Amino acid sequence: MINSNVNLAVLVVFLRLSLFPLLLSFLLTFPAEHVYAKLEQPDVHQRTKQPTTVQFHAWGGSAQVNSYIAWVNEQVSAQYGITVNHVKLADTSDAVSRVLAEKSAGNHSQGSVNLIWINGENFAAMKRHGLLLDNWVASVPNFALTNPSRNPAMTNDFGIPTNGQEAPWGKASMVFYYNSKLVSSPPLNIDELLSFAEQFPGRFTYPLPNDYLGISFLKYAAITLNEAHRDVLYQPVNAQALATITPALWQYLDALHPLMYKQGDYMVRQASQLQQLMGTGELLLAFSFTASEIPSAVNRYDLPQSIRTYAMEDGSLANVHFIGITYNTSNVTAAKQVVNFLLSPKAQAKKQQLAVWGDDSVLDRSLLSASSKALFEEPTQHPSALNKEKSVPLFAEPHSSWTDALRQAWFERYGERF
Amino acid sequence: MTVFERLTLSVRLLLIALLSLPVLAGLIGVLLPAFGYFPALDAHSFTLNVFNQLLAVNGLVSMLVLSFTSGLFATIIAVASAFLLLAVFYRSAFLNKLQSWLSPLLVLPHAAAAIALLFVLSPSGIVASAVVNISEIFTNTMSNSGGILPPVWYFPYDKQGISIILALAIKELPFIFLMAVSVLSQPQLKTKFDGYYNSACALGYSPVVAFFKTIFPVVYPQVRLPILAVLAYATANVEIPLLLGPNNPPTLAVAVVQWFNHVDVSMRFQASAAAMLQVAVTLLAIATWRIAEQLFTWLKDWFFTNGNRQTGQWFAQIFAYTMVAIYALLVMLIVASTLLWSVAGYWSFPSLLPQGFTLLHWETTLSALAEPFTNTMILAVIVSAFSVLIATLALEAETVKALPNKHLNKLNGGSSVLLSITLFLPLLVPGVAFLYGLVWFQLAYFNDAVWLHLFVSHMVYVLPYVFISLAVAYRKFEPKYIQVANGMGKSPWQVFIHIKLPLLFGPLMIAFALGLAISFSQYLPTLLSTGGRIATVTTDAVAAASGSSTRLTAVYVVVQTIMPILGFILAWWLPTVCFNPMGRFNLLKIRKAAS
Repeated sequence: MINSNVNLAVLVVFLRLSLFPLLLSFLLTFPAEHVYAKLEQPDVHQRTKQPTTVQFHAWGGSAQVNSYIAWVNEQVSAQYGITVNHVKLADTSDAVSRVLAEKSAGNHSQGSVNLIWINGENFAAMKRHGLLLDNWVASVPNFALTNPSRNPAMTNDFGIPTNGQEAPWGKASMVFYYNSKLVSSPPLNIDELLSFAEQFPGRFTYPLPNDYLGISFLKYAAITLNEAHRDVLYQPVNAQALATITPALWQYLDALHPLMYKQGDYMVRQASQLQQLMGTGELLLAFSFTASEIPSAVNRYDLPQSIRTYAMEDGSLANVHFIGITYNTSNVTAAKQVVNFLLSPKAQAKKQQLAVWGDDSVLDRSLLSASSKALFEEPTQHPSALNKEKSVPLFAEPHSSWTDALRQAWFERYGERF
Repeated sequence: MTVFERLTLSVRLLLIALLSLPVLAGLIGVLLPAFGYFPALDAHSFTLNVFNQLLAVNGLVSMLVLSFTSGLFATIIAVASAFLLLAVFYRSAFLNKLQSWLSPLLVLPHAAAAIALLFVLSPSGIVASAVVNISEIFTNTMSNSGGILPPVWYFPYDKQGISIILALAIKELPFIFLMAVSVLSQPQLKTKFDGYYNSACALGYSPVVAFFKTIFPVVYPQVRLPILAVLAYATANVEIPLLLGPNNPPTLAVAVVQWFNHVDVSMRFQASAAAMLQVAVTLLAIATWRIAEQLFTWLKDWFFTNGNRQTGQWFAQIFAYTMVAIYALLVMLIVASTLLWSVAGYWSFPSLLPQGFTLLHWETTLSALAEPFTNTMILAVIVSAFSVLIATLALEAETVKALPNKHLNKLNGGSSVLLSITLFLPLLVPGVAFLYGLVWFQLAYFNDAVWLHLFVSHMVYVLPYVFISLAVAYRKFEPKYIQVANGMGKSPWQVFIHIKLPLLFGPLMIAFALGLAISFSQYLPTLLSTGGRIATVTTDAVAAASGSSTRLTAVYVVVQTIMPILGFILAWWLPTVCFNPMGRFNLLKIRKAAS
């Protein structure tokens, strides 16, 4: 429904900015069933009488993300009287297990998890077990600003349709970073990466494929090493397809592993550990899915000032991350209000600021007013930041069935690690 | 039988229930899925397929071996070192200093200890920096290149688990050492020991040999319980192997956690079966320990009668002094590097100091820490106070001698056997196993009582340690005082209130502080029982350690260390100002003499 009415949504957004008081009265008299009446509800929402708390389960390993969510809480409490409690997870699957445990214990209405920050496999698992609320995203007004009809990535999570169960929150693409004090020219494609590992044995590694950055590295390698039959990766996987893709990948990894950190015998479990090892100088080259976290880590002294960020010239993997509402959330209205705020130009621009978090906005800037656009201007280029003017091909995520298949094949070849 | 005695006896039964019910309920919640029964996942029939599936996991044998060997060797090293230190420094003024040096390591949570060791021993750590700086003086290579890379060496993550053994041994040594010291310092035992020891020395035995031939045989049985608890913990803990161990494959306990948290929830079956296997590994380690004890018992007669007076004296002394030196250095380096990291600006290898200092990391952490800190304190104080109360009354019940009828006597006899088993349940059953089952029960029956769940899952860990810590002092309480008071017609309640509590105030406070420390350090129980709804300093710290900032992690380690230390400082200071004037006088005198 929302897709066919996008233009009207745009109109409403523009109107709201200039003619807000007038629109307010207009909307209050608008038929309640109409989607745009619902759309604007959160903005006209009176402060609820009783304080409401929304439990937001999100990975808590990043100081920037944590303080951003704390800011969201301040804003939402002031505007709507809703408290956002950030439950800091070490691993998002803890929260997934939690909701599953609640469902199995018969708690269908008083869940302890309300909002959850997910994508990819955690989403697939939650969807499979029916742990998320259905079709709520379209009723969040600001969702229209992501221009979902033009950007299929906003409603598609690793090849799986989101069915309105989760709203996009931010997006990312894979970048590499190196210590320029010790490395003069970083590898610019997958083959140079191997020569780099030969030159600096033990100074590169990638996380285990259980980690999303780890599996992303495997996907990047699979895509770039199989130029001739790349299409295969965008169809559901089968035995034959796997047999087409893996030979080149294994040949490459067989050569790479002995040249990695701890000869590839110990591999880090989480992406964040890569950054820690870069910070202490034990690694010389690493990669990330959030380009902006690198300059902000430099600003926070967690990475040396000699760190430089770049994208591989043979291509970069890109994806979107989401916010879901669990099926057993008691106060859905409050949860949606929080999501609507998260998708507001104000919150998205704040999130994109390097000093705050630096996560790329999911809003389509062509839909924003001039004043909203101005919120997104970055003042100066940080020496460690990615140069965004230099564009490289962006690879879409392979079909989601490849994630499990590649991981399983990797485990079978190199041993299941934990 | 007085009302008070009846009360103590019922508290003892209550203690058994408090410890065994959560653990048993939790175990059932894990045992059923291990045998294929888990209604939530539409599995309604019992089968052995899960175990077959588990046994087919690649590297399972390596996991078992790694868990078993790392736990056993760490315990052997810790126990042997602790007793060697005691033997060499027994009756030396140095013993007191050693006590105060080792105490900080006792209260450091395992996760914090592992992180701190990373700061010191990893290839980019302070030791490696020092080595590089020293070799630089001779080779002068730094000037001609852009920088120096950290070396590549064994620690951490080595395949054999030596890093795990090292960390566990370092962490557990102070616990065993201090437990043994607390036995040695019992007034009436001390007199006895002094007599034995003096006689042995007069017969020409060297101090170390005299210690092992006269004192060790009395002390060891009294610290067996804590030692077995250490062994059980060492084979089944998660934090240290997770932070320092290999992952190709890891220890079994780490694999269990990973399987329980697997996105594919059907992995819970395998996780449950593996948790059962973990119980078996832990039991096997304990059985091995007990068999080894038996073997030593057979050697005992030979050892006591062989007449050797100097065996190992020289070795023991060198070993003990080296160990003390290494420990002192390690503690200093841990403290220095953790504090430095917490205020470090840029810090590139191999500088011994950061290039600049900043309070940014402290600001970031402290502003986020107010609420978790309050939660942690409230919870720890409630749980520890409750545990000390229950443990004291349950121990008091042991002094009740005559019961009015045979039936009750039988019940009481049975309960003391039960008690020693239940005390060990939470320490023996790997937390990863029964906690998941417990959470399932809690969710099914009392979903909203978050603090109650938190209380229960902390209590099952705090209560046994408080009990063990208190039992040593309580059971060795000089009976003459009681006999005299009884002779003067005082009731058990009066004896308890006016004699025992004041005289045992020191041990009670230590037990309370230990309870606080145990509660502070709980990660998995907190996270699982509340679903993260209540954050504590430790849950936030582990989340930070999984993050990307060494500096923030260091701040959390500092906070995590200061909190329990404050508890122990209170426990150390309060007995000098409250109750028991004579004991206070003696305590101050001893401390003055030691310093």
